Amino acid sequence: MASAPHIAVIGGGSTGIGIARDLSMRGLDVTLLEQGNLTHGTTGRMHGLLHSGGRYAVSDQASARECIEENRVLRDIAGHCVEMTGGLFVKRPEDSEEYFQEKLEGCRACDIPAEVVSASEARAMEPHLAKDIDKAISVPDGAVDPFRLVAANAASASEHGARIETHSTVEDLIVEDEEVVGVEVEHASGAGERVHGTEGGREEIRADYVVNATGAWAGRIGDMAGVDVEVRPSKGVMTIMNTRQVDTVINRCRPKGDADIVVPHETTCILGTTDEEVEDPEDYPEEQWEVDMMLETLTELVPMLEEARTIRSFWGVRPLYEPPNVGSDDPTDITRDYFLLDHAERDGLEGMTSIVGGKLTTYRMMGEEISDHVCEQFGIDAECRTADVPLPGSEDFSVLRDYMDEFGLRSPIGRRSVERLGSRADEVLKTDGPNPTVCACEGVTRAEIQDAIGQSGSDLNAVRIRTRSSMGNCQGGFCCHRMANELHDEYDEATTRAAWDELLEERWRGQRHALWGEQLSQAMLNYALHATTQNRDNDPADGDPVDFAAFDDGVEPADGSPRGGVATDGGEYCGD
Amino acid sequence: MSDAERPPTEFEPAEPNTGEEFEPVDVFPDSTDFDLRPGADSCYKCSTCDTNCPVAEVDDDFPGPKFQGPEQWRLKQNEEDYEVDDSVMDCSNCMRCDNACPSGVPLSQMHNTARGEYVENQMSKLSVEYIRNRILANYRTSAWFASKVPRLANAVMNFGPARWVMEKTMGVTSEREFPAFATETFREWWDRQGAAGGSRERARENRERRGDPVDADKKVAYFHGCYSNYNTPEVGKAMVRVYEHFGYEVVVPEQRCSGTPMFANGMLTDARRHAEVNVSSMADLVEQGYDAIASCTSCSMALRQEYPELFDIDGVEEVAAHTFESVEYLRIHEDLRGAIDETEIDGDLAEEFAYHAPCHARNQGLNRQAVELFGDLDGVDVEDVGDSCSGISGTYGWKAEKYDKSMEIGEEMFEHMEDTDGETGMTECPTCAMQMEHGTGYEIRHPLELLEAAVVE
Ligand SMILES: Cc1cc2nc3c(=O)[nH]c(=O)nc-3n(C[C@H](O)[C@H](O)[C@H](O)COP(=O)(O)OP(=O)(O)OC[C@H]3O[C@@H](n4cnc5c(N)ncnc54)[C@H](O)[C@@H]3O)c2cc1C
Ligand code: SF4
Ligand code: SF4
Repeated sequence: MASAPHIAVIGGGSTGIGIARDLSMRGLDVTLLEQGNLTHGTTGRMHGLLHSGGRYAVSDQASARECIEENRVLRDIAGHCVEMTGGLFVKRPEDSEEYFQEKLEGCRACDIPAEVVSASEARAMEPHLAKDIDKAISVPDGAVDPFRLVAANAASASEHGARIETHSTVEDLIVEDEEVVGVEVEHASGAGERVHGTEGGREEIRADYVVNATGAWAGRIGDMAGVDVEVRPSKGVMTIMNTRQVDTVINRCRPKGDADIVVPHETTCILGTTDEEVEDPEDYPEEQWEVDMMLETLTELVPMLEEARTIRSFWGVRPLYEPPNVGSDDPTDITRDYFLLDHAERDGLEGMTSIVGGKLTTYRMMGEEISDHVCEQFGIDAECRTADVPLPGSEDFSVLRDYMDEFGLRSPIGRRSVERLGSRADEVLKTDGPNPTVCACEGVTRAEIQDAIGQSGSDLNAVRIRTRSSMGNCQGGFCCHRMANELHDEYDEATTRAAWDELLEERWRGQRHALWGEQLSQAMLNYALHATTQNRDNDPADGDPVDFAAFDDGVEPADGSPRGGVATDGGEYCGD
Repeated sequence: MSDAERPPTEFEPAEPNTGEEFEPVDVFPDSTDFDLRPGADSCYKCSTCDTNCPVAEVDDDFPGPKFQGPEQWRLKQNEEDYEVDDSVMDCSNCMRCDNACPSGVPLSQMHNTARGEYVENQMSKLSVEYIRNRILANYRTSAWFASKVPRLANAVMNFGPARWVMEKTMGVTSEREFPAFATETFREWWDRQGAAGGSRERARENRERRGDPVDADKKVAYFHGCYSNYNTPEVGKAMVRVYEHFGYEVVVPEQRCSGTPMFANGMLTDARRHAEVNVSSMADLVEQGYDAIASCTSCSMALRQEYPELFDIDGVEEVAAHTFESVEYLRIHEDLRGAIDETEIDGDLAEEFAYHAPCHARNQGLNRQAVELFGDLDGVDVEDVGDSCSGISGTYGWKAEKYDKSMEIGEEMFEHMEDTDGETGMTECPTCAMQMEHGTGYEIRHPLELLEAAVVE
């Protein structure tokens, strides 16, 4: 073959980005299309558990084995995205002993290291566990940051020549003679990294093969070519706590049920979750009772959650797939496994395969399998290297540095930055200019923000997911404007304003289901601050640019002439 | 057992008061890390604490209480290798941030605990800074030696060349004069007065004079602290005379340093050792119906707030609930205002006093008591010199590298003092008194001394 085949991958979640990295590392020519930001879909709305496989050790041992295998791989290749917290399956007195034993045996059968720990040992590890627990099983669960993982995969894919297009929606598939030969794409802004206000447009992208990795949306892509992909989207709620009540993943040891897991995630804990089938993956009700029920149930495991501060809640939809002949009524019965649907075999439509189901933990394995399949179509015999080559940021690194001497940062800030950046820390944090903290809650400095802007353009939500800036307890109240400020110089006022609005809007959205107690005070303070200092209650700029020249710039004219304009307190400038 | 024979205890703070009813598990008896992350839940980042911090105001490198407290704790993780930022050593522990926070964030508990961890895990025990801080924090030990030979100590401690050496080798500023040691300590005087037995008799006489029932249940345990024992016994004497005058029996139990200078230097192991003695002797007395009275506002603060926040000693909560500052207690239980209306001051103390409310008095809601109490006392005037911090904060202003900042913080207070008519200052805190004297040359008195002059003939 003269040149490498061109593969269009639809979907910028963990699955799509994993495929893009794998294929591009094997030398294929890849274009990835994502309608929103990377992680716009389920990947950005998941629990952050790096499965040990323990959760599936009884019900779905094939998935459990895949999980533990990939759990080990990700610790190696994605060290800076993973925190090995360990996990516990905790049995309360009312939970079944029989199931506890099944769980233990199941783990062992799947090669998942599992030990029984007594109640007091478990409470020594996690002092905030309920006093009356029976015992627990320890397993190598971990926490994974989906944003960082996807961004690192994208960086690696780009390094290998892939074209990554975000804010680019596939509107249609181009089908010629029973074969998919390309996609029609609507770009929200120009190609490349996103810049607000840049003219978008439609593009026809021809491809030798198309991979549909759109998760819960897979059915829609199928429809565009007249094939059926029966994804059954099922929603789940997650609530973020302000601090970490536990440093270990805490699972309830019982057959299945809602609200049975707490995952420590960076500075926070994430509670989850529920499982309820929905019609439309983009439009489903988010209901307060789901949050209340979850908090109440998890309080049985960790009583202090009842009093603790929640900072936001969010929902995600699982792209569950069930082969046509099974017909489960309850979504929790549907397998968590993934399926590769080759539409040529299945529907007589050449040129496209869909991949559905699965988990973030097994994203790389899914990528490998589908890449093998794609290569097979072209008779290419290239080896998969994604299990061996670390992601950018996860090459050898240590978080134990002298943060003050090396980066001029206070130790907890330096530590968090280095944990996020991994082996890229030196490249990003060693800057010449001043490096103030932009987001104090999460300890994010200007250098890290600038690095993220360099990767993702003027999209501040993309900056947010790369850095965690604005994801702490004030939920952006004190830093959204500072982040917007960092766009200055490179981007003009209108761009900055649009990006800032979008970020604020996103931040408020998730807080709607946490507006009580301390977070309500926080929201009121944020509102007051934004209203009184940024005119957020009533935007006077009204889309028109602000005449900044009319403001006092604070500098005395050199010639001693009286200063014009208005004093910063709003009164008229007087005196000399 | 004497101090020296005690095996050094490991720092074992109690589970803090983080809003949850905690049920401790003693499966980790020697853990040094203890978790205040949940305390960050109350912080909504308003920065009021930062704007009230006197150190942040003068020291641009100090990140301030919001960072040092809730932010740092939230960013920290319960792993061994998670370090505490060294800026925690620049906090003077004035505790103004505690008082300023509208949201009840346990700031000083966070600072004290972080500082304890920092000193325990990150500070070299051989560094000059550690040794200097340890000596400053253990003022009681130095004072105990000096009190054996007070005249010699006074001469040597302020001898120029000796001070120069102390500054150069230890970083103790030579700008300040060491406080003089009394030739007779308060406790020596107390023994000469017949101790508890003598006090009981005098209290009974006074009750008769006052027409109180002779067996009235009026008994207090005096926590004099180090300073009024070794340096200003006249404050302790005034306390005894005033209390006996109102018919109280006074006992002076075994006691050590309150721990205030140790908290500020992160020496929590030392502080705990002393606190154990104090709590144990006070707890016994509280059980017998005594209340604990301190004449130093930092001592009462330690017993009331810092002990229960940091240590899980038996009886610590009961002692905290029964501890009062000396004037506060009398204002609650006696008609002090009535007593003051009837008298007038002349002679030595007929003065306009420049009164400074110590930060720790403010935290206990006592910052107005002297001004309110003496407002109607004929012959004197008490002028509040404002709500700034004096800047010395115990040992902070004694450190050579902190001296200039300490004086800069005190500037506002000095100016206001200069503006009063008299040349005498007043405060409840011994180290504030040092600073006031150092900055203005005024003589500084304790409210108890004026009260004594007013009500005890
Ligand atoms: C509540 C919940 C909790 C979970 N917790 C865990 C967990 O703890 N651990 C774990 O391993 N897994 C977990 N999962 C599963 C995991 O999150 C998902 O399996 C995984 O993220 C799916 O990734 P994906 O790339 O297949 O789908 P998505 O992330 O949804 O990606 C699909 C992408 O396609 C894009 N797209 C759709 N249509 C178009 C179009 N027309 N043009 C362009 N782009 C398009 C979407 O915008 C989206 O970004 C959880 C799932 C849920 C719902
Ligand atoms: S205790 Fe005093 S010096 Fe320390 S942070 Fe609080 S206000 Fe500042
Ligand atoms: S004053 Fe209290 S609530 Fe405000 S920032 Fe400081 S600690 Fe947080």
